[in-house]
Formats: sequence, structure tokens, C-alpha cells
Amino acid sequence: MADYFVARGIPVPAELRRTPLTDWRRWGTIALSLLVVYIGLRITDIDISRANPEYASGVLLSLFRWDFSILFPQNQFETFWDAGLGLMIVTIFLGIIATVFAVLISLPLSFLGARNIMTGHPLTAAVYGAIRILFTIIRSIDVLIVVILFSIIFGLGSAAGVFGLAFHNIGVLGKLYSEAIEGIDPGPGEAITATGANRFQVIWTAMIPQIVNPFISFTIYRLDTNVRLAPIIGLVGGGGIGVLLFQTVNLFEYPKAGVIIFMIVVTVATMDFISAQIRKQLV
Amino acid sequence: MLPAVPRILTIQDLAKIYPGGTKALDGISLDVERGEFVVLIGLSGSGKSTLLRCVNRLVEPTSGRVIFDGIDVTAASGDELRRIRRRIGMIFQQFNLVRRVSVFANVLSGRLGYRPLWRTVAFRPSREDVALAFENLQRVGILEKAFARADALSGGQQQRVGIARALMQRPELMLADEPVASLDPATSHSVMKYLEEINQKDGITVICSLHFLSLARRYGTRVVALKAGQIAFDGDPEAIDERRFREIYGEDAVEVEIGPERHRDARELVAAAARVADPAAVDPDLPPDR
Repeated sequence: MADYFVARGIPVPAELRRTPLTDWRRWGTIALSLLVVYIGLRITDIDISRANPEYASGVLLSLFRWDFSILFPQNQFETFWDAGLGLMIVTIFLGIIATVFAVLISLPLSFLGARNIMTGHPLTAAVYGAIRILFTIIRSIDVLIVVILFSIIFGLGSAAGVFGLAFHNIGVLGKLYSEAIEGIDPGPGEAITATGANRFQVIWTAMIPQIVNPFISFTIYRLDTNVRLAPIIGLVGGGGIGVLLFQTVNLFEYPKAGVIIFMIVVTVATMDFISAQIRKQLV
Repeated sequence: MLPAVPRILTIQDLAKIYPGGTKALDGISLDVERGEFVVLIGLSGSGKSTLLRCVNRLVEPTSGRVIFDGIDVTAASGDELRRIRRRIGMIFQQFNLVRRVSVFANVLSGRLGYRPLWRTVAFRPSREDVALAFENLQRVGILEKAFARADALSGGQQQRVGIARALMQRPELMLADEPVASLDPATSHSVMKYLEEINQKDGITVICSLHFLSLARRYGTRVVALKAGQIAFDGDPEAIDERRFREIYGEDAVEVEIGPERHRDARELVAAAARVADPAAVDPDLPPDR
């Protein structure tokens, strides 16, 4: 491209001039990437010699010899809610309840974490900063770690699962909501302020209508994610279908585990589909 | 002899320096009488928007005073400021309607400054407010669109909703920040005529910033030109001749007419624009490419 300028005697734009520095950066980046992969392979000791294809294929096949008895009570001591189907329903509601708790707390907090609402006064600006840092810290603790920590407080079971999931989601939803508020058009707020409305009326009349749809969209997205996460938190003591899955795998009851995995896949796929459809309507 | 009622607006030595050092207003002093239709002209960045926004304190002036109907706006705060604001209507270049809600709800929101908080929260406007909203919508000719979503309307219709919203305040002063800069010439006239009507019939004082000098001559009773945050001209619209025009807009500027009511051929406009010797020269009468 630079020859166009050279041929006409026009100075070549700096962007087109090749310098040793840009070349050096490019090769340096490639070399560094390769080095990281090499070191990674050396120190992680990835060993595939222990793989046992015959045993694995046997297990995989048995996962598909579905034993549906796990879905229903197997003796007079179990109720419907102790068996697979009941626990799946419980798990879906774990995800829903966790989302509700998270929304209830993150919704008011998100207004305090929105720059366009909190500017203007040093105190409110400080609150804004604190809330956003809080969201980031909460969000950076993975949900499995949170559930393990909460199971120390609440013991193994649904409480640890729900509160752990909700806690993590306060960070996620808080950030999503806050950014939705920050993304709104400031014009209507300015116009409503000019009519002599107070701050609350401005937020209520000019801002809320602009954020309702993004808020619903984000909430459904997190609901979907939480129902997807709910079976997993059972594995670390959060209650629900995950506990049963863990038990069947430990007891080598692969045909039963296969049914549970299939049931989870169907549930998650259904949620995913419904959530996508609803959010498409909201755009 | 002293006037019986205080002057509608007095601006004394007003200055605004934005954070970052931009001097938007540099010592503006201006008296506006009741019933005037003042047109603000000047290049983009000359301080027109800032001046209008300092009047109702959407922008906080750095120094100077704004006195509205004998009340010091610059000294007011809280409830007092809101009581002043509700007597001053404002319309905007981008209309600034809440796009997702109905035209009716937008017009009603002009009444917020008079409304108790619970009515806002419960969406329960009073019977009088509802009647007033319909009345104002009828006045700007879009009553049949009352329950359409605001963003379903054309630009000209949205600006009329903006006017109806401002009229809800029963304002004594109307600020208009480039109300027709986003509209085509024909629609511009229809919007300007509503401003003219509220000025002449209701006696509402209007301060309106405009890009088109031809519109300024047609509608203004007085033109105030700003240049670099100072007043470069203040007087009769007809007094702006070519020399004054160049003083306001710069040496390279050429005035481009935009057809007043009788519609000019679009080609004529393009030809006029092409006559500008240096295309990079700022041409105030071409619509801004926002």
C-alpha cells in the first residue's frame, strides 16, 4: 500500500511505515505464546498412558442402558421428592429461588452502582465506587467455591446451594443491571429535570422505562444459567439432583446416572431454548 | 419609570468554564422582555446550548447571575429551583422523549413538577392533568397519536410532543435548543409555527437557538448572536447584513437560504452549498451532520 504514496511523492502515513519495532512485537508475541504452551505441557504432567479404553467404553455404554427406576421412589421409606424426578423439580426451583434472592438484593444496589445516577456529589461517587468494587469481588469468587463456603455456615443441603448461588449472582446481576442503567439515553432525564421534577421523579419517569427490558432480559439469562448451575452445586453439597448423581456414580450405578444426566441435559436445553425465545422478543 | 412587573429574564455577566478548561460562556449579559421571541445564532460550540441550559440550571454556571421574574435562579436550590424550573419550558434538538412509553405519558410528564410524588409512583394522574394533556396534544395536532409509542412518531411529530410536554408546565418562558436542527425544512416550519403561536397567542417568551438565519429572520423578534462565548450581535433580525454575518460566522462563511414556506428546489440548496469556495469552511446554514 505504501508504494501508492511513494510513487506520487506524497509522504507515507506513519501507519503504513514498517518499522523494526512492529516486526519485533509480532515475532515476540508468537514466540511468547509458543513458550507458554511448551512450559504448560512440561509442568502439568498430562499423562494419557493411564487411559483404559475398554473400561471407559463399557462405562459409557452402560450410561445409555437407562434404568428409569431412579426417577421414582424405590422403597417405602422414600417419597416422590427423594427420587430422581422430584429432585430434578427441586433443583429447578433451587435455581429459581436463588435468582429471586439475587434480584431482590442486586436491583436496589445496581442503582447505587450506576455512574450516571451517582455522580454530582463526592459522597455518592464514593458509594458508587464501593458498590462496583463489591460487585467485582463477589463476582470473582466462583460459584462452586461460594457454595462450599456457605455449606460450612449452613451445613450441606439446599440452603448452602441457594444462598451460594444467590450470592454469586448478586455480583453478576449487579454489574449487568448497573451497566444497563449507565447505557440509557440521558436526554429524557434532562428533559424531565427541566420540567421541575425531583430526582426520584426523573429516575422513575425517564430512566425506569428505558431499563425495564434490559433488566428482564438479564434476569432471564441468569435464571437460565442458574438452573444450569443448580445440578452442579449439588456435587459440592448444595442439595438437589446433583447429590443423587454423585451417589449413583460413586456406587457405579451408571445406568441410573445416565438417566439423571439425560434428564439434566433435557432440562437445561429446554430452559436455554425458552430463555432465548423470550429474550429475542425483548430486544 | 420602573416596570410594574419584574423583567422575565436578566442575565448578568454569566460565565461557564467546563471541567477541562473549555470556556463556553465568557461574560454574557442579556435582558429579555416579556413576549419577545429571541433567536440565538452562532457557530456550533459558540455557547448557545450552554447559555440556554444555564437559564434553568441544567448546566451549572461558573459565575454570574440569572434572574428569572425577579428571582435569582443561580442562588436557588432544591425545592426553590424546581419551582422556578416548572415555570420554564424546554424543548430539545433530539426531542428527548421517553421513547418506550406512550405519547400521552410523555406529555403528562411535563406536569411532574406540580404533582405529588405518590401520583408519579402510582401512575395516577389527576383528572385535570389528563384533560390538560389531551388539550395540549390537540393543540399541536397529534391527539390521535396519544396512545402510540413515542418512538413510532416522525421527527416533527416527536418535537410537537416535546412542545406539548413543555406546555403542560404552563410556562412563562420557553427555551428551545435547536428545536428544528434534526428536521427537514418543511417540518421545521411546522414546528416553528407552533412556537410562534404560543409566543403570540399565549404570550410565552421564547428563547430559541437556530442554525438557519432565514428561520431566525422569519420567526425572531430579536436576534442574539454568540461567538466564542460572547455576544457578537444583539438586535433586529433584519439588521444582519453580509458584513455582520461574516463577523458572526467567520470570513469564509456563505449564507445558504432555506426556503421559507415556499419550498425551494432541493437542487438550488445543493448548488448554493457548492458555491462555498472552501468546502472545509464552516457553513452555519447547512444542517449539522449529527
